[in-house]
Amino acid sequence: MLFQVENLSSGYGKIDVVRSLSLHVDVGEHVGLFGPNGHGKTTLLRTVSGLIPVNSGRVAFRGEDITGLDPRKIVELGLIHVPQGNQLFPEMTVQENLTLGAYVSRTDKSKASNFEKVFTLFPRLKERRSQRAQTLSGGERQMLSIGVGLMGMPELLILDEPSVGLAPLIKEELARAISEIASSGVTMIVVDQDVELLLGICERLYLIEKGTVSLETTDVSQVDQAEILEMYFGKVS
Amino acid sequence: MMHFLDAYKKPLALVGIIIFLAIPLVVENKLLIHLAILGMLYAIVASNWDLTLGYAGVFNFAHLAFFGIGAYTSGILTVKLGISPWLGIPCGAVTAALASIIVSIPAIRLRGIYVALLTFACSQLVLLLLLSQPLITGGQQGLTGVPQLQIGDFLFRESKYAHFYLVGLLLLCSTVFLRRLVSSDFGLSLIALRDFEEYAVARGIPLARQRLLAFLFSSIFPGLAGGVYAHFLIVASPDIFGFSLATLLLSMVLVGGVATIYGPVVIGVVMTYVSELMASSAWMSDVFGVSRGPVRFMFVAVLIVLTMRFFPQGVWGLVNQFSARSLQAKNTTVEDPA
Amino acid sequence: MTPEAIVAIIASGLVSGSLYALMASGLSLVWGTVRMFNFAHGALVMIGAYSGWYISNRGGLAKVLQPIGRNIANNSEDWGLIGDILHPLGEWILSIKAGFGLLLGVPLAIIFCGIAGYVIYIFLVKPFVGKPGADLVVIITTIAGASFMQNGVQVIFGPRYKQLDRILKGPPVEILDTAIGLQEVLIIVLTPVTLLLLNLFLKRSKLGLAIRAVAQNDDFARLVGINVNQIYPLTFVVSSMLAGLAGLMLGGLFFILPTMGSEPLLRAFVVVVFGGLGSLPGTIIGAYVIGLIEQSSAYVFSLYWAPVVLFATLILVLIFRPRGLMGGENS
Repeated sequence: MLFQVENLSSGYGKIDVVRSLSLHVDVGEHVGLFGPNGHGKTTLLRTVSGLIPVNSGRVAFRGEDITGLDPRKIVELGLIHVPQGNQLFPEMTVQENLTLGAYVSRTDKSKASNFEKVFTLFPRLKERRSQRAQTLSGGERQMLSIGVGLMGMPELLILDEPSVGLAPLIKEELARAISEIASSGVTMIVVDQDVELLLGICERLYLIEKGTVSLETTDVSQVDQAEILEMYFGKVS
Repeated sequence: MMHFLDAYKKPLALVGIIIFLAIPLVVENKLLIHLAILGMLYAIVASNWDLTLGYAGVFNFAHLAFFGIGAYTSGILTVKLGISPWLGIPCGAVTAALASIIVSIPAIRLRGIYVALLTFACSQLVLLLLLSQPLITGGQQGLTGVPQLQIGDFLFRESKYAHFYLVGLLLLCSTVFLRRLVSSDFGLSLIALRDFEEYAVARGIPLARQRLLAFLFSSIFPGLAGGVYAHFLIVASPDIFGFSLATLLLSMVLVGGVATIYGPVVIGVVMTYVSELMASSAWMSDVFGVSRGPVRFMFVAVLIVLTMRFFPQGVWGLVNQFSARSLQAKNTTVEDPA
Repeated sequence: MTPEAIVAIIASGLVSGSLYALMASGLSLVWGTVRMFNFAHGALVMIGAYSGWYISNRGGLAKVLQPIGRNIANNSEDWGLIGDILHPLGEWILSIKAGFGLLLGVPLAIIFCGIAGYVIYIFLVKPFVGKPGADLVVIITTIAGASFMQNGVQVIFGPRYKQLDRILKGPPVEILDTAIGLQEVLIIVLTPVTLLLLNLFLKRSKLGLAIRAVAQNDDFARLVGINVNQIYPLTFVVSSMLAGLAGLMLGGLFFILPTMGSEPLLRAFVVVVFGGLGSLPGTIIGAYVIGLIEQSSAYVFSLYWAPVVLFATLILVLIFRPRGLMGGENS
């Protein structure tokens, strides 16, 4: 097992947003998380990558206990979290942003080939390599965000809401790129509101509600679309 | 012990005040009385600073400028125009109040660090303006020959009681004024703005007006104290605007405890004593060689940092915490049987 | 205005501008990254000058070491093998009676300032990082730190003024019949070189890139594996070294005394606000603009009125453009 979360609770201050949540990801697997907003998905990701302290429970990665570890050490182990809202270094160029993605020393040797990989995946970034990140379009920023994640040579890549706020055409382009990353053998956790996007990439889905896993399914066809709609929009009566 | 303290808080305070008031009657040492007067003047400035710093949560760097403006106004009016100090001192309060309004108008539009920078710049501007007019203000040397206070033929400096009780009265008025202010609706609105600005504004508390009033109210007694200070020391010096005095007074507010008023009052007097005695004691000169004046400022600096680090609520805050805890303990013991 | 006067104003404006640029860029760097204002920055300028003097001057470290050197040189014959090794050391110490010179004094003083900056970070800043109201608390603790250093230096060195040797000795340079001292020329030339090196460090080196990353988005910086707890002290160290260099330059122009950093610090605040908090290019341009404004208003009005003009400008800027003339939106 590559990644395991056991009975994890965490949140802001004394209030737990994530409550006794457990999930696991195997090597090569692609796992999707979905569920209504404000139910703890982003808090979960921020906790496993070390930005928020753990209140109770345990996180293990590559056989090591990473609970409460410094984010730097977690990145060094290869758990790369691409946060939501296309977070970047706004006043730096595309090139500089990608360089910082390869900040940890583990990636030093293959930096050049990683640049190649990112640029083949997102040719648009190559064109704009000397442009400042804040001048990019929303879709390009999201590509750069993922590119920065790839530069860190992930053993496990976590994408938080990659498709949020994007126009349908760009969303499609991005979904194709993410599938390509997935098929190249990178283990992934993808969080998104768009279940269809997740169905196209992932073999297994977790539904996260009120800070914990309320449904797990390996057979994606079993996910009842009507049930999900009900969850998002309330019971239609 | 704490129960005892709690129950007898008021009588104890009264006893303390009476003992303090008796100092000039008992003590013969002129230096000690001089320090008590200085300490009370600083206590006035520090406790008024607590209104903006502690209650309004605004870092007003120009606070000492109000004190300085009071000193220079009364000094200049009495030296250059020959008016009576008894008229000069209230005039100092008026100019300090005017200055507070002028500073607060741009300051209330800004936040956090920008308020600190703006008020800092304003106090420097006042200092520079004073230095730029050496013919009126005495420049770097300060304004000398400020007349001392007198009533008829009675000269204040020749009596060991006069200044002490005058300043004591001023401190009493200032403290009563401040305590009434902070426990009034106005004081509560300041705390609300400090702790939940958006909510307080949404509930209709006028942010700009309350902050402006906080600046204004905090300037009046320091303005008066500044005037008395100048006539007491018969000089108005630009040192008032320096880093050293600012650090000393800031430490009185912080060590005493922000948002308590009483803390800065008590610690203001105590710290003046301690730091001045440190500067003149033989022990200090033995340990630290010839220059012992600077050493006390080093102690004050260390004290500030330690306070911020380990007792951010200050001495008064600690006392309150203990008495609150003892109160709680008392309540639970009462409730337990029921 | 005569051409001589114009040259003189420009030269002195560039000298002041250089000093302000060195100081303000350090302040700006710390503000941009740690979101704190270091009020002990002026004291660091003073520390730079004093430590430079202590190492380079005959009255400083060299004087303290003389008895030790004499002891070694005279007695080492009795110490056997160790004495043979130590003897040249004693001779060497005796030979540097005149001080270690600026060649050693300047770099060592800058390194010492870097260490002082680290100590300031550990004791006065680090305990408060991430707590509510930390920016105001750190103003208070660094003011206390400045007071501590100023008074400490007075205890150690006494109230007598010191003076640094001039780095370049020789007749002044003449431009359009106006004499400009070599020290001034050195400052005017050396500052842009230093700032260029700073820029290269921030743009090309891994640590420099990390400093900028933390300044722009510290959450994301953590997620790419940057150790933010290491970057904060690093910015303090870099900024303090720049302050130290400014102090060494200032010490070659005027007397060295414990309060020498206060005035330039006030100017540096004006510059940082004027140029926009945290914007390095804005800060550097602002520094030279302020230097030139100050020197020309000193010429046009008087020496007394120049700072008044300056602070009035600052207050106006704060009222109408609180983010500075060139400040971006992320300040």
